[in-house]
Amino acid sequence: MHRKRMIWPMLVLLVLILGACSGNQPVTEGKDSAAPTNEPASQTDSKIPEELVIADQEIAAALDPVQPLTSSYLVAIGAGETLFKADPEGRIQPVLADSAEAVDATTWEIRLKPDAQFWSGKKLDAESVVASLERSRELDKQITPYIQDLTFSAIDESTLQVKTARANMDVPLNLSSYQTLIHNAEASYDSVEHMDLTGMYAVTAFEPQKRMELAINENYWGQKPTVPRVVHEQISDEQTRMLSVFSGNSHIAQKMPVSAISQLQAEEAVTLSTTPASNTQTVYLNLNRPKFQDAKVRQALAWSVNREELIVQAAEGQSFPVTTWLSSNPAFAEARNAVYARYDLERAGQLLDEAGWVLDGSGIRMKDGEPLNIKLMTWGGDRALGETLQYQWARLGIQAEVQHGDYSLIETARESGEWDAFIEAWSTFGEPFTLLSGQYAPTGGGNYGGFDDAKTNELLQQLSEASDEASRHALALEVNAHVAEQAPVISLYPRSQITAISRNLEGFVDHFRPFENLVNENLKFVSP
Amino acid sequence: MGRRLLVAVLQMLMTVFVASLVLFALIRLAPGDPAKLLIGRTMDIAWDAAAYESTLNELRQEMGLNGSLFSQYASWIGSLLQLDLGTSFYTDRSVAAEIGERLPSTFLLAGTALIIQMAIGLFIGILSAVHSGTWFDTVVRLLCVGLASVPGFVIGLVLLLALAVQMGFYEISSQATLSRLWLPALTMGLLGAPQVIRVVRANLLGELGQVYIQSALSRGLSSTRVVWHAMRNVLLPTITLTGLSFTSYISGAVVIESIFAWPGLGEYALNGILHKDYPALQGYALVMVLSVVVIHLMVEALYVWLDPRMTRRKKEAVHE
Amino acid sequence: MNSRRASCALGFGVALLALLAGSVFTASWLSPDDPLAMNVGARLQQPGMEHWLGTDRFGRDILTRTLHGGQTTLISCGLALLSAVLIGMLLGALAGMFHGSVFDIVLMRIIDVLLAFPFMVFAMVIAALFGTSLFHLLFAVVVVWWVSFARLTRSLVFQAKNSTAVDAARVLGTSNTVILFRELLPQALGPVLVLATFELGNLILAIAALSFLGLGSQPPSPEWGSMLADGRAHFMTAPHVLLGPALWIILTVLAFNCIGEGLRDRMDPYEKARIG
Repeated sequence: MHRKRMIWPMLVLLVLILGACSGNQPVTEGKDSAAPTNEPASQTDSKIPEELVIADQEIAAALDPVQPLTSSYLVAIGAGETLFKADPEGRIQPVLADSAEAVDATTWEIRLKPDAQFWSGKKLDAESVVASLERSRELDKQITPYIQDLTFSAIDESTLQVKTARANMDVPLNLSSYQTLIHNAEASYDSVEHMDLTGMYAVTAFEPQKRMELAINENYWGQKPTVPRVVHEQISDEQTRMLSVFSGNSHIAQKMPVSAISQLQAEEAVTLSTTPASNTQTVYLNLNRPKFQDAKVRQALAWSVNREELIVQAAEGQSFPVTTWLSSNPAFAEARNAVYARYDLERAGQLLDEAGWVLDGSGIRMKDGEPLNIKLMTWGGDRALGETLQYQWARLGIQAEVQHGDYSLIETARESGEWDAFIEAWSTFGEPFTLLSGQYAPTGGGNYGGFDDAKTNELLQQLSEASDEASRHALALEVNAHVAEQAPVISLYPRSQITAISRNLEGFVDHFRPFENLVNENLKFVSP
Repeated sequence: MGRRLLVAVLQMLMTVFVASLVLFALIRLAPGDPAKLLIGRTMDIAWDAAAYESTLNELRQEMGLNGSLFSQYASWIGSLLQLDLGTSFYTDRSVAAEIGERLPSTFLLAGTALIIQMAIGLFIGILSAVHSGTWFDTVVRLLCVGLASVPGFVIGLVLLLALAVQMGFYEISSQATLSRLWLPALTMGLLGAPQVIRVVRANLLGELGQVYIQSALSRGLSSTRVVWHAMRNVLLPTITLTGLSFTSYISGAVVIESIFAWPGLGEYALNGILHKDYPALQGYALVMVLSVVVIHLMVEALYVWLDPRMTRRKKEAVHE
Repeated sequence: MNSRRASCALGFGVALLALLAGSVFTASWLSPDDPLAMNVGARLQQPGMEHWLGTDRFGRDILTRTLHGGQTTLISCGLALLSAVLIGMLLGALAGMFHGSVFDIVLMRIIDVLLAFPFMVFAMVIAALFGTSLFHLLFAVVVVWWVSFARLTRSLVFQAKNSTAVDAARVLGTSNTVILFRELLPQALGPVLVLATFELGNLILAIAALSFLGLGSQPPSPEWGSMLADGRAHFMTAPHVLLGPALWIILTVLAFNCIGEGLRDRMDPYEKARIG
């Protein structure tokens, strides 16, 4: 009798072991695994899916575009639109706007698309655009830096006037940020039925931070999409998101970890979009520390960084080296290899010798009996980057220590001034003067290390006064190169955004701002 | 009896109060400013320093972060007394409503996992006690060690890979439907089973060695009936363990919920930490403490009901 | 027969543990490679002659890292467990000794609060407060972990207190302290040690789970729990990354379990009988 009863536990164990074994299969035999994993996908191929499922780390928590980040999700998913938008090459293109014209140095006139309208059918006129922007200005703190210097008024039904507080501002650029999403300010945003935006898809059901369902907006003013429904689903775990695309449960998975790239590449049912974003992974150095006051030490650190190796180890090869900060912006691509053209450990060593940090018997750089050590703080997905940098600097005889943790630890350290170095990636997309003065002017919000250099300040002054595009571009490049030589920060490479896309989905556009360019009207399902 | 209940409830309230104080202090003392997070990472665009400061200040005022820690605690407790958990910083929705949406999924998962854990644990635990010393017992012990040495996320991911990707009969989505329940529940149940097996086996073996059992056996009672009798005394430690498991499933299923995209409270807590959403975190922690305390109270009541003359010894001596 | 099996399990456990500890603490001699040495050309290699357990994403030898990492894991978990046991036994014994006193009641309420505490949240807050490091992590673990030892000690001491031996000692005028250390604690030591051997595995895994959530030891020094958590990113294409740490964890847990079972079989007279 007891023998019979033992069959069941054995069965349970068998299932377990089977599960474990089949789990190991694809791993050992990379290519053979494609056959079984393709199965669910090929089942769905027989009929074209009606629904595009997008798995994301996080989805909207609210419907009101003035809530933090909600506008970014609404733009990404095709529900909301802005007046302008950056195209994949980084140029600003009109969306709800028809054209924009600078009347004088502080006045712009923006004409709206004549047939643009909201989901409800209400016409998009200049008054409603002003009302939308003013509502955001009042309720959304994140919009402040984009529109604080702008005042809006309606000239006539389809023309908007924008006055700027500073001369030569790039208004379309500012109005291309997702925070400036145009919504019907008269509608309320407490339910799916009441909200009113302009996008090609309209929200039909919503569970905060779980799932948003959308269907084609029948009143759409532009070219309507072909996929009838879109679902935006929150799956927080990155590995599970990846498996959801493999299984065919979703068709696009956002924010894949770089460490998963080899797995994604081995999977035949999936294509990858790995567009380097327009931001630069940068090591910020604390110039108030005596050891970093010597430019030679900073330059030595910059020369001893092997960016090619970093990109392989920390970004799985999905990026390109950037030696100057601004050059991750497509418009300044020519400066990508400036100043620190190659990895040069010898030169770095010479610079340190000149600075008085000499190797002792055990291979450590010493000066006045003190070893050269750096505490490098990292956060988010930068752990591998910190780990590799630490190893590279060790080759030079520097004792580097990595502290990986929450971003708030970096914030706290910055406030107390007790830090050596940390890694952060600021966006390099925007007006060159705003960007560069934010990083290198003594009062800049991103000038964490306290860099204050007479020549830089003078060049920035010239940049702010330059009135034509070409001279602004040339001056920006000059500031960029000069700062790289002084090395208050060390530029590494643009952070890549990795998106996994099911092979039966066509029309996904690689974009350097993938988080707001997910859904477009040309997406469609095909049989591979 | 009524007095005992009153004392128990008073003690419970005291526990909740102390816990609320500790939780509040811990959550508020952690570095990082939720207002800064709401303004957004400054890395996207360079803010004008003055505008940034004034916006930040305005926001902190709105969020009630400018007062002293004590006054913040007092106002939190004040609204708690009116059964108000506050409004989430991040979503601007009522924390009570948000937790209310997620609590059922968490309890559903925890309850199912508990049933699976107990079923497997009791079944195999009894078998291996009865067959103690045989190869079956040895295999069970080895498997228990193996299962207890592999982290939950590895088992979870392997099961997902096998069942969702390769066999295609498990759906990965964000929904808490019954068709998605079995796999996370099974994973949690399997991970928890070794503990039950150990407790049942050890206690049952202890019982089986007692004089009364030996004499019953010598009088010719069937071994099934003997085991049945012995089990009655194994029940109490098992119930203690059940209570402990259930509480750990409710508060600590963060990893499994995250792997299986189960929209429960674990995910809510993780998001709360990510966004430094104080009201959400405080609400979550308080609900957790309350559930745990209530479960303990229920276990206690169960004891009294099962064995009114119960000695403290049996209640507390859970053999591991 | 059964006691021979018990000492057999005990012997096996001790031998296995000795072997593991030996491999881990002679790591720099057994495997002279640098556990931190990266090699871009040898990333995620399968196990083979050159790298017996393969390499990780940085091209570091996994066997070397497992052995070196074992030092961190074993020493830190051992210390954490020891502190949890000491705190738990001391407080539990006092509570059991003065059963029903104010101290006992307060302690039980504290235990209630700690049991009710969402451990993950607690660990995360600690990590956010003081920074993520293995030390802070273990600190968080100890703060919660001593509870189970305190509960066990308390109930054992309470039982033992009412035994005739203790009554006799009391009649003879022996002080409470002496009774506690001479009579009560030694009786509790056995079961607590058994519990501790079982808890060690849980401890190692708890660290792995916390590393999974990004709160582990700091790079680049290896540690089993964080090695497992890191290896998760490659579990489909290179599962061998998990093999090294998983194998050593399983063997360690097995060794401690055997020791625990052996100890218990020796102490527990009831388990000698069985029916079949």
